[in-house]
Amino acid sequence: MRKVLVCVLLALAVTSVGLLALGDGERVLRVTFAWPTYIDPAVGSDFSSSSSLVNLYDTLVYPDVDGSPLPHVATHWETSDDGLVWTFYLRDDVKFHDGTPLTAEDVKFSMDRITTIGEGYGFLFVGRVTETEVVDDHTVRFHLSEPFGPFLTTLYRLYILNKDLVEANIKRPGPYGDMGDYGKEFLLTHDAGSGPYMVKEFRVEEELVMVKNPNYWLPLDPETPDEVRFIGTTEPATIRTMMARRELEISDQWQPEEALQALDNIEGVDIAAFSPGTEFYLMINTKKPPTDDIHFRRAMAWAMDYQTVVEHIFPGANQARGPVPQNLPGADPTVFQFHRDLNRAREELQKSKYHDQLDQYEVEFHWIAEVPAEEKVALLFMANMAEIGINVKVVKVPWMSVVEEMAQLETSPHIVSVFDSSHYPEAGSLLESRYHSSSAPTWEQNEWLLDPDLDAMIEDALATVDREERFQKYAEIQQYIVDLCPTIFLFEQVEKHAYQSAYVDWPTARGEVNPVMGYNMAARFIKVYPEKKQELLGG
Amino acid sequence: MKILRFVAKRLFMSIFVLVGLSILIFLISRVLPGDPVRMALGPRAPEWAVQNMREQMHLDKPLYVQYYYWLSGALHGDLGQSLFTRRPVMDDIKEFLPATMELALFAGLIMAIFGILLGAIAGRYSNTWIDNSVRIFSYVGVVTPSFVFAILFLLLFGYLLRWFPTAGRLSPGIMRPPAITGMVTLDSLITGNWAALGDALWHMVLPAVSLALGGMAQEARITRSTISDNLRKDYIGAARGFGIPERLVMLKYLLKPSLIPTVSILGLDFASLLANAFLVELIFNWPGFSRYGINAMLRKDLNAVSAVVMVLGVVFVTVNILVDLVVAWLDPRIRLGAERGK
Repeated sequence: MRKVLVCVLLALAVTSVGLLALGDGERVLRVTFAWPTYIDPAVGSDFSSSSSLVNLYDTLVYPDVDGSPLPHVATHWETSDDGLVWTFYLRDDVKFHDGTPLTAEDVKFSMDRITTIGEGYGFLFVGRVTETEVVDDHTVRFHLSEPFGPFLTTLYRLYILNKDLVEANIKRPGPYGDMGDYGKEFLLTHDAGSGPYMVKEFRVEEELVMVKNPNYWLPLDPETPDEVRFIGTTEPATIRTMMARRELEISDQWQPEEALQALDNIEGVDIAAFSPGTEFYLMINTKKPPTDDIHFRRAMAWAMDYQTVVEHIFPGANQARGPVPQNLPGADPTVFQFHRDLNRAREELQKSKYHDQLDQYEVEFHWIAEVPAEEKVALLFMANMAEIGINVKVVKVPWMSVVEEMAQLETSPHIVSVFDSSHYPEAGSLLESRYHSSSAPTWEQNEWLLDPDLDAMIEDALATVDREERFQKYAEIQQYIVDLCPTIFLFEQVEKHAYQSAYVDWPTARGEVNPVMGYNMAARFIKVYPEKKQELLGG
Repeated sequence: MKILRFVAKRLFMSIFVLVGLSILIFLISRVLPGDPVRMALGPRAPEWAVQNMREQMHLDKPLYVQYYYWLSGALHGDLGQSLFTRRPVMDDIKEFLPATMELALFAGLIMAIFGILLGAIAGRYSNTWIDNSVRIFSYVGVVTPSFVFAILFLLLFGYLLRWFPTAGRLSPGIMRPPAITGMVTLDSLITGNWAALGDALWHMVLPAVSLALGGMAQEARITRSTISDNLRKDYIGAARGFGIPERLVMLKYLLKPSLIPTVSILGLDFASLLANAFLVELIFNWPGFSRYGINAMLRKDLNAVSAVVMVLGVVFVTVNILVDLVVAWLDPRIRLGAERGK
């Protein structure tokens, strides 16, 4: 018995040593994300990856809060008259984390790498950038296959890598010929960037730890975090506990409403809500009876109860206005917006060729099984349509099956409910990915519009280099689409994060919302006040 | 010698079990709907990038050819590349398996020690308030899933009382020991990093206890039942009649034979800890093998799914062999019966 007691006391003594952990006085920013995270600029493209890349790397241009490009590594740029050649002039004082200077060669290497690998954000450049030319150490030139007005905004995703460092860590043989694995294995857990933060440690599937770059070429406010941790968990009970213990500064956006309410009740914690540029659509198949009839579609748009959706099913969301979220550059704020009006719905239905055959047609509505709240939308839609005599069948489908069925017109249902966002921060991105004929067999378009006039309008707008002129064309396209009524534009998603408002100054929470995914997590703009945190903990 | 023959025979039979398992999981994972490569690269990746990866993974070949590539790789220790971690599956196993093994070992120890202890006490004092308390605990423990305990402990000890850490294996600021075994506690002990050892043990308490409670309750019930049965047997009465001290009667004459059914169940419970740890690992953000396995299945990460199932299969087979050996040691009738059979 005495021996047992001694062992227990010894164990307690040993474990208590571990309690001498990190003090609460350190300036650290911890954020939770849904995993996995890829910190290779040619691989990562989801939210957590984009948020990481923004901190580890630099780009030629940087998005302002209105989405417009600001000089960053590039001081200025020129475009040829035909829009095919873009020349960028680089700063001469940018250094990578290992102290080597950033030059045009590194930019070329980064572009060649991302277009060769083709993953992540590579789709923005593959087939578009035909050649990257090094004019001199601080001048780089991109040659495009066709004029592309939004090219500048796509460069928010060209993260510049340290060519020498990557080449020194290439594993051969590999799938990229002479370039072996192109440094993919190395870049899984290391960075080769020049950004304001550097990788200290990356435990795959657990946590990314970054530390401040003391030699960053831009001044960093001393109140920005010395250490940033991105943690891979979205478990509500864990998040709530960590927030209450002040072990977490910003939560992920996947917390359910009930969890957010509980988090909001914690002293010093508030909920930051903003629109990330994601819209929820009811995509209507325009080639399948009865939804191939424009009057039938308009009747559905008039009968839909938008208010119930934004007030009760997705509280805090804003009813959408047209195909483009309003915070996306190029969105038209004047485009027509439907509202619930059963009389107009019935009038419109009377004009439809199916008005006297409604009992012979059933509209099939497919919702994504992985998003349970979509079922409520589907059922509401069914109830709303029943009021004007339209029969609806609601079907729950797993995402993988939805993607497969939307690949062919024959298997595409009448309606699919999907969240979608732009590939780059301009209206043209969504207009192309949602309504151009090339996207018809993808999950981004169930409408199967296959409209050559619309295709021509979209292509013409994207080829327009002048921003104002291009945005004017976007406005015309949005009106054209709304007139066709191929979609019920339901709402713009609101992203909600719990954060420690008592000791964290997060510009996004103050309304300075960057429309480019990941840029709201740029730690160099977020301030942490450990002394205020101590007050909270002491209280 | 006989033991070696027994082990060799069991190992030989296990090969057939594992091969059959590998074929089954290989087929199941590949016939499920969805394109795993497209899922991994995203819907916007160009088709040629998707096709390249399909070719690298041999997914463009017939099933039996794919299985051949997989099997020949597995025999050389290459379980392929994970579509989601983007690195060799063996690297994933080396990182995640020790984390779960560590958790399972601690949970297993808690399960065994306290399960048997509670069962023994309840059996010894059967039909008293002690016995009734243990029985109530057993019922609650058996019917309550481990994730419920996990959330309760998290909220009570982590959120309200703040006695224990609630996420991960180590606190920030504690220097992680070099990965010798991959188990932070053991590596800390080997390298003499006492701060890391203490911190790691502290992090282990809530998840290990959450995981152990169900099995502990079961062990307690079985042990209690066997002990109270054996207490009524003549040889116990005879031992007491000979004046043998009660403590010796309990430990030597009663406990050892009573442990036979407990040990059998303990083995299976321990093996199932590895598979059932998923939700506990999720709640405590424990970077373990179980969580990795479930994520692999949800993401249709083909190579990872096959590897996870095979590793669990090997663990189950190994544990079953060990359980049989322990039972044979505990019960001389089994050993002697086997010898007489020869």
